[in-house]
Amino acid sequence: MNAQKQIGRMILICWGLWGHSLWAEPALQTPPAWVEDKGCAACHRFSPNQAAGTAPDLFYAGNKFQKDWLVEYLQRPTVIRKAGHTGDPGFLKGQPEFTGLHPVLKPQDAETLATALMSLKLPDLETIPIDPAPLSKGKQVRIKILFERDYSCIACHESYNLARQPRGGVSGPSLIDAGNRLQAEWVYLWLKQPKTFLKKGRMPVYQFDEETLLNLTRYIASHKKENGNKN
Amino acid sequence: MVHWIDRIIGTRPRYRMVSILAVVTLMSGMGACSQESSSPAPAPTASPQAEPVNPSVPAQPVTQQTRDTYQFYCTQCHGLAGKGDGVNARFLTVPPRDHTKADYLETRSDEQLFHAIQLGGLAVGRAPCMPAWGHTLDDDAIRSLVRHIRELCHCQAF
Repeated sequence: MNAQKQIGRMILICWGLWGHSLWAEPALQTPPAWVEDKGCAACHRFSPNQAAGTAPDLFYAGNKFQKDWLVEYLQRPTVIRKAGHTGDPGFLKGQPEFTGLHPVLKPQDAETLATALMSLKLPDLETIPIDPAPLSKGKQVRIKILFERDYSCIACHESYNLARQPRGGVSGPSLIDAGNRLQAEWVYLWLKQPKTFLKKGRMPVYQFDEETLLNLTRYIASHKKENGNKN
Repeated sequence: MVHWIDRIIGTRPRYRMVSILAVVTLMSGMGACSQESSSPAPAPTASPQAEPVNPSVPAQPVTQQTRDTYQFYCTQCHGLAGKGDGVNARFLTVPPRDHTKADYLETRSDEQLFHAIQLGGLAVGRAPCMPAWGHTLDDDAIRSLVRHIRELCHCQAF
């Protein structure tokens, strides 16, 4: 009886692994059917093999975004890249061709689409638990100095200054609400190995030590509109 | 005005002095992109990036690949024509360097330009807005960018 159970478990595990390989790979190769219906692929990439898009890649949306933020954004889109997306032909001229906001969806559609987007994940990413507790005030200041002074992130990314005002460059996405928009684990992976997600990006590659990586991740995760000047 | 300052730093003289000193210290630490010292900044304490290597820049023609590299990475701040007017420029308190002007660049050696690109502005005593590219670009690519900057400024080091 026990042997039968063991065999049954083995079959289940093999089936699960086989099913996973079948399910996970298509997310990288073939865009889901709903992408065509919604017209998302006109701007977004749903596979790393597609030509560069003029809006953020979505083939790892489920690794990158927080679902609540997606639902809100799809109903009330805001500008995250003030200079336009780096794939926009007018990006470097400071005159992006696409200057409008993302199409607005109804609440039910936003919920459905966000659920679908959250299913798009890269397989076999490293899992790293990020401490959700805020950094101590002293550490927050030290990491802010690293962020702005040592690693120059502020040159391209909008953050908060000491007077609670947005401050910083615009060629990279604004980090003003990054703590609500992005998953901390994705921020960690992006900082550690950006080529996992983008073969060639305009952001410098860094080689942070593990402690700095975790602290920068928690610092960026603390960027929430409701936190204001705590950043 | 005084009211909110008092709320932040306190009204007791002893605490007030300590708080003011702390804020001043913090502000100086935050000097990121807020001012560029006309004299060299303190030694590159944080050299977060690669170790310096032999930066000698041989005289070779600038290739299209080098121009493309400049366009891809550098123009975000330094502008399409290298005039320091990239999309980030107006958001930075320290303007990005105008690579078409010789008056400053001819005072810098090729080695200094190489290290500024490789290690970032802070590491060479200049504005911390300039990040380190030593883990993004290899040494040959950085050398070729130095040559491209020399071409843009029509200048050589003294």
